[in-house]
Amino acid sequence: MQVAVSMTQATGTTQTAQSSRAEEEARELSGSHILCEALVREGVELLYGYPGGAIMPFYDALTSYPKLHHVLVRHEQAAAHAADGYARATGKVGVCVATSGPGATNLVTGLATAYMDSTPVVAITGQVARPFIGRDAFQETDVLGLTQPITKHNFLVERVEDLADIVHEAFRLAKGGRPGPVLIDVPKDVQFAKTLYRPSASVTSFEYFQATRVSRPAPEAIARAAALIAHAQRPVIMAGHGVILSRAYEELLAFAEKSGIPVITTLLGLSAFPETHPLAIGMPGMHGPAHVNNAIGACDLIVGVGLRFDDRVTGKVSEFAPNAQIIHIDIDASEMHKVKPAAVPIVSDAQAALAALTEAIEPGDHSAWLGEIRSWEAAANERGRVIHNEDYPDPTTILQAIREETKGQAIVVSDVGQHQMWTARFYTWTRPNSHITSGGLGTMGFALPAAMGVKMGLPHETVWVVAGDGGIQMNIQELATLKQQGVEVKVAIMNNGYLGMVRQWQEFFHNHNYSETPITGPDYVKLADAYGLKGMRITKREEVAQAVHEAMQTEGTVIIDFVIESESNVYPMVAPGAAITNMIEETGEEK
Amino acid sequence: MTSEKPGTQAVAASTDGETPAAETWAPSIERAGQSNAPEGAARTHTLVISINERPGAVDRVVGLLRRRRANMQTLTIGRSEQPDVARITAVTDDSEVAVEQLVEQLRKVVDVRHVISLSSEQMVERELALIKVSSDAARSHEIIELGEQFGAHIADVTPETVTLEVAGNAAKVEKLVHLLKPFGIREMARTGSVAMPRGTVQTEA
Repeated sequence: MQVAVSMTQATGTTQTAQSSRAEEEARELSGSHILCEALVREGVELLYGYPGGAIMPFYDALTSYPKLHHVLVRHEQAAAHAADGYARATGKVGVCVATSGPGATNLVTGLATAYMDSTPVVAITGQVARPFIGRDAFQETDVLGLTQPITKHNFLVERVEDLADIVHEAFRLAKGGRPGPVLIDVPKDVQFAKTLYRPSASVTSFEYFQATRVSRPAPEAIARAAALIAHAQRPVIMAGHGVILSRAYEELLAFAEKSGIPVITTLLGLSAFPETHPLAIGMPGMHGPAHVNNAIGACDLIVGVGLRFDDRVTGKVSEFAPNAQIIHIDIDASEMHKVKPAAVPIVSDAQAALAALTEAIEPGDHSAWLGEIRSWEAAANERGRVIHNEDYPDPTTILQAIREETKGQAIVVSDVGQHQMWTARFYTWTRPNSHITSGGLGTMGFALPAAMGVKMGLPHETVWVVAGDGGIQMNIQELATLKQQGVEVKVAIMNNGYLGMVRQWQEFFHNHNYSETPITGPDYVKLADAYGLKGMRITKREEVAQAVHEAMQTEGTVIIDFVIESESNVYPMVAPGAAITNMIEETGEEK
Repeated sequence: MTSEKPGTQAVAASTDGETPAAETWAPSIERAGQSNAPEGAARTHTLVISINERPGAVDRVVGLLRRRRANMQTLTIGRSEQPDVARITAVTDDSEVAVEQLVEQLRKVVDVRHVISLSSEQMVERELALIKVSSDAARSHEIIELGEQFGAHIADVTPETVTLEVAGNAAKVEKLVHLLKPFGIREMARTGSVAMPRGTVQTEA
């Protein structure tokens, strides 16, 4: 069996080595201090959380650990999203903290978001004291039961002696193999209880670890994959979130360039491959441009890297890539054959598999096939650029203004809905891991708190939020946190007075019955002012670039309320359950 | 007004029969559990799942079986030869590929140590049933005699009932139940199957 040392494991080792001698000595400490010690040993610098009854001993201990910077959010959901954003941006484990009962239940949406998108998060929740568990005590909920389906694993700490080991195991689980959230539920009396603390390194011998340690591809699988690639006439690469999680940008580029295979990037794979590259063709699926979906329809081989063939990508599965064989690279064996049977399943870390595959193949050239795809693209682009009203700020202008102002170096965090698809499509992604969004769960209210996590994880980077006027009103309370922490993100609201994506579905599939989709919002300029921040309202297209420039020149968080056309749609669109080659396109007719 | 325009120039996939010359390893793509799976591909699978005896471990396995919509027939939980390791036997009716997927999902549960999927040829499988049959002085002998043909023990006899205890594979228990039905089955309790591989094959690697 090959034992691969992943990047994250290596980092963990370094941190352990750096722990001071003093820490190695056994001391009697309370559970809450042990929790802090263990977090420091894991290299944690930032925690997002909210105190409450059952977690108070931990908060008491926290002030003795200046290395642990705690960010008081305004709602626990935001703590989970911020930890998630931090994890996505830095590759390190994000940490969030909440009290029992309502605190813990508020984390649930954020943990489910992290679980669906495979991001490493550790959540710590207080629990009522052990004698009260199961007795409907004040602020008691069955947090283990609640979070079991949306975490990789969760722990109830029954003995203070186990606490340190559990924390270290939680971090290993969160970042090992396919990353994901892990929750630790700590009863209040365990936080108070004292024990001899020895910084330890517990080892788990569970099969899970044996399985995830094998993160290098089997040589015979690579040989089979290389043979398929050599035979393919119309191959495509489909790169997903796994490429970003594995930081395999260089390997993907090398593989694409040597093989000459056109590259498709999924929503969560965006920015894994530069869209300015001649081989980059775009995003597939429900809102992918026609040429990409048509390329999938016509291809004879898919090299799928770190993607799970989500239904938003495949559309009707039986008509997805009907002529193609699939080479499927994923670190999670349970993804193999889940949606589409793979001719060559390669259970491996993306970086290792791509490097091995690049080594194994002969240089290839698919310029004729690429040219064919490009010819479809030209037609699709013309169809995608129809504008109804030239006066309004429009998504493309807004996104390109942000891109130009930040020279493509900003990290853009989008929320969920129409603006998310426009952002995915009309921003040209060139910088690795510069696109962050809630893909799998599609969590409205994700962007603002996640962007806070991104910015605090990468304080020297420029962070933009792009959100709709629906999503921004979920978790808008975090403006106060941003202000209190002095954290600077720039917020672009695409305000169309509708829950736009739902309205679009109502227009297409529910006979224009706009049931509960018109939405009002506050005066965002006044709102920003109330939070001590700068706000702008932009109603004219020619003012867009200047507003973005001004936002960048202004210190602190800035909100720009872009009033866009109220009934713009995202085109093309594949109806749910339809084949992805069966697209609804803009007709160019006036509404 | 926008109109829905289905079938946007569906690109004529001019494959020209260029699929790679029948690679020997490429599996046949017709597998159950997927979009292009044939109907009726389901059959019975017996999964043996070894778990750490920790609070919530059983819950995690059962929760996963529910979430992944496993078509469960029986589920038994008990001790194994190792201390701190419990053994779950789950019998499920499903396609090959759905079960393979389920096994991989189960392997990701942290408290799961080991999972194997057994077929009927590879395994010894037994369950226990308690069957309470309506009886009277005239018929009790007949019931007991029938039970004896199946190696059943008499667990309890009253003037109105005979309770049989039978162990065997599911088919044998099923057959006895069928034969006892005419007497009137008042109550029945079945454990569900436990199983292990034949011979020297180990469930624990």
